Amino acid sequence: MLGRAAALRRGLQVAAGGTRGPDSGRGSAQPARLDPALLGLLVCPLSKRPLRYEESTNELINEELGIAYPVVDGIPNMIPQVARKIEAEPPHPTGEESKQS
Amino acid sequence: MAASIGAASCRALFCRSWGKRLSAAGRLLGGARGLAAQGETHLGFQTVPEAEKEQRVYQVFESVAKKYDIMNDSMSFGIHRLWKDILLHQMNPYPGTQLLDVAGGTGDIAFRFINYIRSQREYQLRQKLKSHQNLSWQEISKSYQEEALKPLGGSQVVICDINKEMLKVGKQKAQHLGYTEGLSWVVGNAEELPFDDDKFDVYTIAFGIRNVTHIDQALQEAYRVLQPGGRFLCLEFSQVNNPLISRLYDLYSFQVIPVLGEIIAGDWKSYQYLVESIRQFPAQEEFKAMIEDAGFLKVEYRNLTAGIVAIHSGFKL
Repeated sequence: MLGRAAALRRGLQVAAGGTRGPDSGRGSAQPARLDPALLGLLVCPLSKRPLRYEESTNELINEELGIAYPVVDGIPNMIPQVARKIEAEPPHPTGEESKQS
Repeated sequence: MAASIGAASCRALFCRSWGKRLSAAGRLLGGARGLAAQGETHLGFQTVPEAEKEQRVYQVFESVAKKYDIMNDSMSFGIHRLWKDILLHQMNPYPGTQLLDVAGGTGDIAFRFINYIRSQREYQLRQKLKSHQNLSWQEISKSYQEEALKPLGGSQVVICDINKEMLKVGKQKAQHLGYTEGLSWVVGNAEELPFDDDKFDVYTIAFGIRNVTHIDQALQEAYRVLQPGGRFLCLEFSQVNNPLISRLYDLYSFQVIPVLGEIIAGDWKSYQYLVESIRQFPAQEEFKAMIEDAGFLKVEYRNLTAGIVAIHSGFKL
């Protein structure tokens, strides 16, 4: 009974952990996901505003400032100097490099 | 025999630069305040531009990460373990406590925290079972099931370190030691923490704060992320007040530790920095005043091992 529950839980974790195993999808091995317990705690160290977790790129995104913090091996790197610049969402959508993945 | 020759030659090597370094240190100590105002700061006994310190400290810890634990043991004869145990006893967390451990890369505080919570939890469970003598089999089984689902009673520790190499070592250690539940790892700067306001019950920083460029900012950030009633705890090297012990301690720090660093970790310079940075860190009372300036109340400290280290505590009320 308990064993089955544990197995089920493990199954769920695997599902939540996303595709693991032999290099699935786009060339690079799928990186470890963000620890869900952290999502409710993390904010942008600069603006102290909440972040959006973008699963496809495995990044935490501050849309206001247009920066993305990478999650490497399941560890979010919240150092602004390391963050990637992306195009800020709301302000002028005209011109400039539109480098959105 | 070989070891003693090694030590002797290292000492000779050290003595050559010693005189020069002492006078430089004297100069620095005298002019430190003025310099600090112009955007410069200490890196051990050197004075470097503020912008450079963070990077240099990063290099130090990147370089020592893999040997950090063994170095701590050999430099302190294992006493650092006792100091950390004492910190946990002072914290006395209960199942449910949310801890932020800053500069806790290799997990020393976090693992102790988990162990402490586990034993508290076991104790709670035993007390509960004892107080209901005639429980049915089902009730007992249910209580164990509960325990299996929430072994830490909802406690969580977030380990935040600016150095990802240190975190990497800590995470590997956690896997190796079998800690899975309740641990989260984040690369972050103590001066601009990536956490929301009022989120943690306890903030710890053990042997970390003296490496921070702007200590006042780190303290303000600690205050911000703690929830009202939350506690700040800092374990850090401090000032030895007994003159005899102080002499011995200086001798040991400057003559032995860099040598150990060279022998064990192959890195004299980083350990030279470590001992110098210890001497530059403010003494007990001064640091206490800094903690109070950040807004903490009921700030106290206790000396351990004659003041070689001190635990400072303060509350956000």
